[in-house]
Amino acid sequence: MQDDLIRIEKMVKFYPVMRRGIFRSKQTGVIRAVDNVTFSIRRGETLGLVGESGCGKTTTARALLYLTAPTSGRAHFQGTDIIEVFERGAKEEILRIRRRLQYVFQDPYLSLNPRWSIAETVLEPFRVHRHLPENQWDDRLMELLELVGLEYYHAWRYPHEFSGGQRQRVGIARALAVEPRFLICDEPVSSLDVSVRAQILNLLIELQEKLGLTYLYISHDLSSVRFISDRVAVMYLGKIVEIAAVDELFARPLHHYTYALLTAIPIPEPDADRGHSVLKGEVPSAVNPPPGCRFHPRCEAALPQCREMPVELAPAGDEHLVACHNPR
Amino acid sequence: MGIVRFIIRRLIFMVVLVIGVSILIFFMINAIGNPIEILLAERPGISPEVIESVKQYYRLDRSLTEQYLSWLGNVLHLNFGNSIVYNQPVGSMLVTWGWETVKIQVLAILISLALAIFIGVTAATRQYSKIDFGVMSTALLGRSLPGFFLGILLILTFSYWLGIFPSYGAYSTRSPLMGSALLDSLWHMVLPVMMLTYFNTATLTLLIRSNMVDVLRMDFIMAARASGLSAGRVVYRHALKNAFIPALTYLAILFGLMLGTAPVTETVFTWPGLGFLYITAIQQLDYPVIMGENLIITLMLVIANLLTDIAYVFIDPRIRLE
Ligand SMILES: Nc1ncnc2c1ncn2[C@@H]1O[C@H](COP(=O)(O)OP(=O)(O)OP(=O)(O)O)[C@@H](O)[C@H]1O
Ligand code: SF4
Ligand SMILES: [Mg+2]
Repeated sequence: MQDDLIRIEKMVKFYPVMRRGIFRSKQTGVIRAVDNVTFSIRRGETLGLVGESGCGKTTTARALLYLTAPTSGRAHFQGTDIIEVFERGAKEEILRIRRRLQYVFQDPYLSLNPRWSIAETVLEPFRVHRHLPENQWDDRLMELLELVGLEYYHAWRYPHEFSGGQRQRVGIARALAVEPRFLICDEPVSSLDVSVRAQILNLLIELQEKLGLTYLYISHDLSSVRFISDRVAVMYLGKIVEIAAVDELFARPLHHYTYALLTAIPIPEPDADRGHSVLKGEVPSAVNPPPGCRFHPRCEAALPQCREMPVELAPAGDEHLVACHNPR
Repeated sequence: MGIVRFIIRRLIFMVVLVIGVSILIFFMINAIGNPIEILLAERPGISPEVIESVKQYYRLDRSLTEQYLSWLGNVLHLNFGNSIVYNQPVGSMLVTWGWETVKIQVLAILISLALAIFIGVTAATRQYSKIDFGVMSTALLGRSLPGFFLGILLILTFSYWLGIFPSYGAYSTRSPLMGSALLDSLWHMVLPVMMLTYFNTATLTLLIRSNMVDVLRMDFIMAARASGLSAGRVVYRHALKNAFIPALTYLAILFGLMLGTAPVTETVFTWPGLGFLYITAIQQLDYPVIMGENLIITLMLVIANLLTDIAYVFIDPRIRLE
């Protein structure tokens, strides 16, 4: 598609499983954290990425930004192969990409350096990129704090003087400091009080409209995903199993895992067929994922071929992709 | 609370503590025995008149409380009394012998600090690599080795077999090395400093490495990388300071306890420092020397503590003095 801002192609990230000895360690296997993942994010949209804890959402996002080097795979930003740039590009070129792609972290208690004032934290990208002359930093800092709903006097405070919601605003201000086009929001509200979650989500929506941003919104909380996303990708054990527009996905989930997730939402869904199919069993290990469809040990509709035949995303209706031998 | 008020309060507390410790030590020494008994045991033939005059000279005929108060009064005038064994003023002895101790200890602490930061950071940024394993095993071994054992190994290797460094003393008794007093002194310092450095570095490296590993896992490190900061600058700007602060306490302990580790090193290398003096003073119950040394040990510990607390305030914005 032409209007793709980001395209991730065959992204793979394996972590070695080591057995530590006294003098050396031996690799005994691999965790297939992200296993051959392909999807695109369109300019100006919010793509939600959902899945249970440990399914590889964060790893996908970090591999995309090369915060952990992917094992293999490509990622394109506006047609540029950014993995290539991160691996072999000149320093200026890497910085140019970094400026455009930013990250908001899950836990604002861990993502701010406790010994740095807010001003130091938000201005750090200015020191790295030098995209503004120094005499304008103060004005820009004021602008940024206002943009995320903080006061100017907050600049000289330290993270421990703020609430979780305020810290997350600081994290957002830092990400916006370099005028990015694309923001990864990795569970930006899941560590916050329920009462401030909506505020932060609304702030993100407002910023998206004001600044023309594109989001990858990661969460295991389906109600916030439904609230903020245009399209949703569902991930299970390192694989994307379904992608569709948000209304389509919630109304017509095709993958049995998606369906199970949806029926597990705590809020009442009057029009949904509240089946009995709540997720059963443990999430299998990503070290030795089941062959065939990775969901088959927990799937009620599993066919014999589900156990052996791998299954890839395929079109199933209007811009709806699903990886299932026997869709609902 | 203002920092000045905090310091004043701590200073008052320090005075109380130092006096308390000195009372305790004084009465403990006397519970063990007194120098006259040792003198008698060594030379049984001494006449009672001589003993009486010695007792009077050192005021040992007074009550213990009187003896203590007169010691304290003199200390307030910076008079620490005379050594019973060396018959010299304790004050000037503490200075001359103390210099020998401080010389090797401070040098060892500075060297180990530089080494520990370099090695600790190298190991932490390569967690679970061969380098990391090597560093960890060497450091763990270093901490579990008894102090005198390493000293003896060093003497065996560098003095006995290789014959390149002296095994005892701080100065050559005959002609100094290459005719230079400074070179000669440094030459004698090599082995004791090596021994001290090894032990300091072992613990400091382990501390810095493990703190560093913890800090490097934090999301703000990731955030700095996402900002475009290079890996090296991330370590330097974000991780090192955060990792170093917990090690600061240990550094202060090293300074404060300088005299605590001195006896072993100085006995192994026959080094004319306060540690060596301390051991001989205890053997002879030379109480003015013991009391003087204890005063210094206590003062160094409390001062090191106070300085760490103050340093924390300047380094860590979250800490407020209470
Ligand atoms: N640095 C690492 N070293 C080894 N294994 C890792 C590392 N980071 C993640 N993993 C493993 O990779 C898998 C995917 O982890 P990831 O953090 O991407 O999951 P997630 O979907 O973001 O989960 P959560 O909702 O808990 O954040 C997990 O099995 C995890 O244990
Ligand atoms: S592929 Fe088979 S096992 Fe997997 S979800 Fe579809 S029906 Fe179930
Ligand atoms: Mg995650």
